[in-house]
Amino acid sequence: MPETRELTLGEAVREALAEEMRRDPRVFICGEDIAEAGTVYKVLNGLVEEFGAERVLDTPISEAGFTGMAVGAAMTGMRPVVDVMFGDFSTLVMDQMVNQAAKIHYMSGGKWKVPMVMRATLGATRRSAAQHSQSLHAWFCHIPGLKVVLPSTPYDAKGLMKTAIRDDNPVVFFEDKMMYRLKGPVPAEDYTIPFGVADIKRAGTDVTIVATSSMVQVALGAAKLLEQAGISAEVIDPRTVWPLDEKTLVESVKKTSRAIVVDEGYGRYGVTAEIASVIAEGAFFNLEAPVKRMGAMHVPIPFSPPLEDATVPTEQTVFEAATALCG
Amino acid sequence: MPALEMAQETGKIVSWLKQEGDAVSKGEPLLEIETDKAVVEIEATADGVLAGVKSREGDVVPVGVTIAWILAPGEQPPVESSISAPSARKVTGQPQAPSATPAPAQTIAPAEGGARISPKARRLAKERGVDINRIRGTGADGAITSEDVLAAAETPPLSAAPAQAAAALSAIARLMAERTTQSWTQVPHFYLVREVDAGALLQAREELAPAIERERGVKITHTDLLVALTARVLRKHPKMNASWAGNAIQLNPQVNMSVAMAVPDGVVGAVIPNADGAALGDIALQRRDLTERARSGRLRPADLAAGTFTISNLGMYGVDAFNAIIAPPQAASLAVGRIAERVVAVNGQPGVRPMMTVTLSGDHRVVDGAQGAVFLNDLAEAIRAPGETLRS
Repeated sequence: MPETRELTLGEAVREALAEEMRRDPRVFICGEDIAEAGTVYKVLNGLVEEFGAERVLDTPISEAGFTGMAVGAAMTGMRPVVDVMFGDFSTLVMDQMVNQAAKIHYMSGGKWKVPMVMRATLGATRRSAAQHSQSLHAWFCHIPGLKVVLPSTPYDAKGLMKTAIRDDNPVVFFEDKMMYRLKGPVPAEDYTIPFGVADIKRAGTDVTIVATSSMVQVALGAAKLLEQAGISAEVIDPRTVWPLDEKTLVESVKKTSRAIVVDEGYGRYGVTAEIASVIAEGAFFNLEAPVKRMGAMHVPIPFSPPLEDATVPTEQTVFEAATALCG
Repeated sequence: MPALEMAQETGKIVSWLKQEGDAVSKGEPLLEIETDKAVVEIEATADGVLAGVKSREGDVVPVGVTIAWILAPGEQPPVESSISAPSARKVTGQPQAPSATPAPAQTIAPAEGGARISPKARRLAKERGVDINRIRGTGADGAITSEDVLAAAETPPLSAAPAQAAAALSAIARLMAERTTQSWTQVPHFYLVREVDAGALLQAREELAPAIERERGVKITHTDLLVALTARVLRKHPKMNASWAGNAIQLNPQVNMSVAMAVPDGVVGAVIPNADGAALGDIALQRRDLTERARSGRLRPADLAAGTFTISNLGMYGVDAFNAIIAPPQAASLAVGRIAERVVAVNGQPGVRPMMTVTLSGDHRVVDGAQGAVFLNDLAEAIRAPGETLRS
């Protein structure tokens, strides 16, 4: 019987990185405050002790620089993991990720590949104000050549991180900073989770709630409330928003006839828009109601706690949306 | 779908008198169409075989849309990819205008204000042949859900028996039934009754009749006189000549007198337009023409259109007085009883006078009792002095 322990999501990510670094000497990590500090969230605690400063590389505050360095390293055979402390700093890495990492394989006629992972955080409600609270993963989904991963549980985080590191293409891996202490069962043995395979986190019959990252936990909480109200909600986590498991989403909505899409990024032009469109196209003649999207409000994330809490979806707002949808 | 009136936008197929595949000859009655004014028989426009019948009885079809073909021997109906009459879809709100680029069949969202229905429910309704117009939605904001459709599919509409009974009615009888029911149930009627001395009216007829008969070849009737007098009094009472427009009162610039006429299966209101300015002889001529055509079933929709006030005279049947049902959107109607000799007070003494009872029906959304009373008073004055009024 394989051993399964309870780990936090942060521990699961660290375990995946450590196991991959042990397995493959080409894997290294670079970023700000990742070595002795172990990142601001202590996710990488202990790695520098085991693997040394050459493979757990503290960099200056220079996101564009060390991301570009990682792209070059990947092209020459290494498998770098770039640590971008806040997803908000994606602005600084965009040229390297969009015009270099995502394009090299294509523009070199397949001669070069860029097997790198960019890790970053997303998520609000940490009272970090407008420049450290955004969820900008949708930007990367828009670019052909990039894969985008959004784990919602410790189990998924470990399995998906291993797949990301072993993928020969650039992968962007977003972790919700509010989920690092979320605990869940994680097998000790080696396992991977394929990209493009959604996970039905909870089966239901009346409404499908498609949720990503920490919004999966919000959706599961809402589903419990809905159960008390006599509504059976199915919660689906795409796990990777690109590639996207369209079939599982559409099949679920064909069954339930109603859908809510919850993602912590901005609602406008966001991940919810894309997924809602996929559902509307695939399950139109099974829809009982319009597809409901829920994302962050179209405002800078406020510092004020009451205002910040009102900016993003909660169990209560998802519950209310679902009951309204079910009439 | 032919246009039978200037403002007609749709027509309802009342019945097909010929069936698909029947041979028809030009001029033969083909089908009956109902506009909002009348039921009209449509004749075949050519010899041939009736084919490609797209619209069924009860369908409301925009003017200009093909409802069937008459084929010469060897011809086939044209293959149409998307053009089709919006069959079975009841027209609500603004009717669809005939369009050069017809919308694809069956994929049109309901008109704004129409039933809200989910895509799933719409698909199920189509698959199971359920008429969504008879479903009350139970979903959010009253939307029709798939459950509503499935429930409706299990409770079929009322059996065919009443429908057959309705089909047994003639078109005009059915139209009368619909219109009077609509008026009686929706228009808040009130009535004002007034007895008038008809002596001067009788006298006026005797005086005016010979000249008009000589010059115009028509005998004037009491009804002609009352039409002329009432029309002239209406000029001073525009609200009595108004229409109820759903949420507003619309004053009508013309006084078009509608005269109730018996036809074999019911009653219709034939219109004498601009009667307030028409000479008595002209009114009599028009009234005679309309009466004759009404009796022979040859009234045209235009004969029944745009009346603004109705006079109904049952005096010739010996009726003393009665209450008329208003013909919406008209605001009022005058019911005229017989002229009978009665003992009444004349200058403080019992005297025998030719008396007549007129009853005004009013739509209380447009007019009220006081306004109606003033109008009736003016009308009574006009009947007491017809010559003066006719010269006005």
